[in-house]
Amino acid sequence: MMLPFVTVLLSAWFAWRGHRCASIGAWWLTLATFIAWCFYHMTDPMNLSL
Amino acid sequence: MKITLGRTAPCVNSLALLGVSGILWFAFAWQLLLHELPCPLCLLQRAGFAMVGIGLLLNIRFGSRPLHYGIVVVSALAGMVSAARQVLLHIAPGDPGFGSPFLGLHFYTWALVAFFALLLWSGLVLMLDDMGSAPAAGGKRAPGWLGKLATVAFLSILLINVLSTTVECGFGPCPDNPTGYQWLP
Repeated sequence: MMLPFVTVLLSAWFAWRGHRCASIGAWWLTLATFIAWCFYHMTDPMNLSL
Repeated sequence: MKITLGRTAPCVNSLALLGVSGILWFAFAWQLLLHELPCPLCLLQRAGFAMVGIGLLLNIRFGSRPLHYGIVVVSALAGMVSAARQVLLHIAPGDPGFGSPFLGLHFYTWALVAFFALLLWSGLVLMLDDMGSAPAAGGKRAPGWLGKLATVAFLSILLINVLSTTVECGFGPCPDNPTGYQWLP
């Protein structure tokens, strides 16, 4: 769960240091890990009844 | 007469980044002061805010670009999905929700509102930011004091979130209802 925070910190650090492409690459990596965790944590049934 | 942001675009982005950093700082202060550990979906919402901040930081550092605003929009949508999921998890009558409410709403509801506001902000700023005066992509620009302040606030809270999440969950997944920090005795 800490991985998206590591990659987003890297992305911010690259942006601050002036490496635009590296920053955007790290952002894509963050999005990929974000989606992976979404699948892990958001695919169990919800307690809803109609 | 055409109304544009002109030279105020970096200032507008800096204020937005300051706002996003403020949200992350507030959530962390709440975690420490009320001893309420963030759940996995709460952490995903924090990650969503952090991803939004990257687009804003790129605008501050390299000038406004459609790609940077795209990052803000996609990140806000990603955060919105996790916040909406958590709202739906606790929407059934009688469900007490997760964590303590703030001003009558739980944090995940506030997060949903904030992500929606960020999307609205992006739409409005995209209408007003002509991006004509920005240097070419890849060209660095020196941020003003507001940009520096927002960046320091953002970088520091990101570092704190890395440490806090690692101490809470280790290197693996977090429990659905965390009761203590895994790496603390």
